[in-house]
Amino acid sequence: MIRFFEFAGRPFIAIVEECGRIMLLLFSAIVWMFRPPFRFRVILKQMEFVGVNSLTVVLITGAFTGMVFALQSYHGFRMFGGESLVGATVALGMTRELGPVFTALMVTGRAGSAMAAELGTMRVTEQIDALSTMSVNPIQFLIVPRIIAGIVMLPVLTIISDFIGIVGGYFVGVKLLKINSGIFMSRITELVEFEDIYNGLAKAVCFGLIFTLIGCYKGFYTSGGAEGVGRATTESVVFSSVTILISDYFLTSVMF
Amino acid sequence: MSKISLEAKVGVFVVVGIVILGYMSMKVGKFNFGKARGYEVKVYFDSVSGLVKDAPVEIAGVEIGKVSKIFLENGKALVALMINPGIKITKDIKATMRTRGILGDKYVELIPGSPYAPLIKSGERIIHTEPTTDMDTLMNVIGDVAKNINNLTSSLANVFAGEKGEASLRSTMESMQEMAETLNRTVQKNNEDITKTIANFSDFSEILKEMGDANSDDIRNIVANASRASEKLEDLIAGIKDIAAKINNGEGSIGKLINEDEAVDNLTGALASLDKIADKINRGEGTLGKLVNDDETVENLNSSLAGINDYIQKQETFKTYLDYRGEYLFDSEDIKSYLTLRIQPREDKYYLLQIVDDPQGKESITDTTRTITGQSTTLERKVETDKDALKFSAQIAKRYYNLGLRGGLFESTGGFGLDYYFLNDSLTLSLEAFDFDSDRNAHLKFKADYTPFKHIYISSGFDDFISDEGKESFFIGAGIKFLDEDIKTLLSNIPIPKD
Repeated sequence: MIRFFEFAGRPFIAIVEECGRIMLLLFSAIVWMFRPPFRFRVILKQMEFVGVNSLTVVLITGAFTGMVFALQSYHGFRMFGGESLVGATVALGMTRELGPVFTALMVTGRAGSAMAAELGTMRVTEQIDALSTMSVNPIQFLIVPRIIAGIVMLPVLTIISDFIGIVGGYFVGVKLLKINSGIFMSRITELVEFEDIYNGLAKAVCFGLIFTLIGCYKGFYTSGGAEGVGRATTESVVFSSVTILISDYFLTSVMF
Repeated sequence: MSKISLEAKVGVFVVVGIVILGYMSMKVGKFNFGKARGYEVKVYFDSVSGLVKDAPVEIAGVEIGKVSKIFLENGKALVALMINPGIKITKDIKATMRTRGILGDKYVELIPGSPYAPLIKSGERIIHTEPTTDMDTLMNVIGDVAKNINNLTSSLANVFAGEKGEASLRSTMESMQEMAETLNRTVQKNNEDITKTIANFSDFSEILKEMGDANSDDIRNIVANASRASEKLEDLIAGIKDIAAKINNGEGSIGKLINEDEAVDNLTGALASLDKIADKINRGEGTLGKLVNDDETVENLNSSLAGINDYIQKQETFKTYLDYRGEYLFDSEDIKSYLTLRIQPREDKYYLLQIVDDPQGKESITDTTRTITGQSTTLERKVETDKDALKFSAQIAKRYYNLGLRGGLFESTGGFGLDYYFLNDSLTLSLEAFDFDSDRNAHLKFKADYTPFKHIYISSGFDDFISDEGKESFFIGAGIKFLDEDIKTLLSNIPIPKD
């Protein structure tokens, strides 16, 4: 009987412990964020890796998301003659949901996994321990720049994705489906509020924190050699993506 | 192609993002910046069912403002309308609610009255409203109509339904049939006579026609003249009769004039003095005469009235803020103080004067060039730091939507700054760049100000963060800011340049 409860309790405790470790890592990262020395060079390097190098993939996903969204909503709106609303639907959808979430998912797959793999390899080859021996705090040197880069760059990527998605929607709606361009644009400016863009960017900041934190956590606490690194990478991507989608629901319900 | 540096890559990327954000927020820019611009008027409606906050207010289909507040007062809906600045509406304007589109969006339509009526002022109420003809009232009317038709048909049914009704209907029909039969018989009997009569008539009318054709114009003239003459004659006779009666009774001015001598004297006197006055005015004598004859006087009066109006309006929008802030610099463990006077003639621009007490002091650099024996020159650089010297800032600032641009003197050196306002202006992100010098990196400062209360704000940021002299420092600070009415009055007595 006791064994049964132990069997049920063990995974639950494991989950709680893991959440606790992530939170502790976050707190120490925040503390180290405000202590000198500030390594701008390292932060810039991470910004380039997370932001600039993700540009292509974000542009492609953004553009095609906007395009397919315009195509699908056109078929729906045509049923009651509301084609003029396609532009506003695409713009609202991109700024509020699709822009932040798709960008976060793509960047998680590209940069989050790389973070987990890089830190995991450093852990199993004992480079992190070597840093500690040289009295360089590994959290400050490795994790803080990545988290800052995620928080700063994801909103930038998101606004680019929003924009390119609306441009894609404009291309499909106006050029291919022959919706009047004036009506298309005026509906967007009429129905999209500044709040929509702003809240989308606020979401992106949260997602930036989530994927870098989980990627770093999985990599930082890797054990078990090369196999462990592989496992950490996979887990970080799955865990980040799921957390992003779940937190998206709650962020939306709080914001809008 | 030379390799692009890491900084440049990230910098370009971030700038592109900010530009897109700026462009998009300009495009959708319908938000208010802090204090709403324009002025507010109120209007009572019996029902505002379906009207929402921020719904448009239109005149002739042009949007001139929006609904800023809807609330209940004395069982009626009180709607506050925020009218855009520059739109003038008169007191006799009429307000009504209209519906647009298949989704039935409600908006407020204003119907202008006379253009000469007095203008409505901020906070006043629009008195005239038109009852709304929305779908509900329309349905009610249609319902009433249907009820009436129902009543009508039921009373008709009462008349004709039943055996009695049927019998009377049948007897009516029968007598009509009888009448038709009789008529038929009569016509058949007198068929010949009737034919003859008709033929005669036809002949007669033909002759008449010929006659008429020949003299048609004359006949028409005669008839018309006769008609006009008789009308006039009638009027004339009536008028004469009336006048004669009145004069006889001494009624009316002419009657009095004829019947009373005194009245005649008075009239003559009055006419004489009127003549004198008119003469004087014509010659431009006296104030009234000048006013009427001298164009310059009138123009002066007009322009001075306009000037007074302008001045009063300027003074109303004119605001002056006093601001003290202190920043605790973590690295030098010292406090940097700022005393700021902000003069804001309009919502979207201000001038800023600032005194800064910098713990690092004011540096003065003296380069001395000495020429020794013709050719060789030596350069001597002397850097003096005066710890007690104050620095001064003087800036002009202009705001576009929620982006502010600043330029001028920053801590006694030239520079510029960018501000981005969030959350109804309670959060401001600022980036300042100044002290450009070829020998060292420019002074860059990033800060975020948050104003949780009306007069008190907190601040945090990074000062001089690309310094190559080790001056970079994280700081936190706080300040107090308030609107100063005294300085405002002082300043507005100094002539303000027109813009």
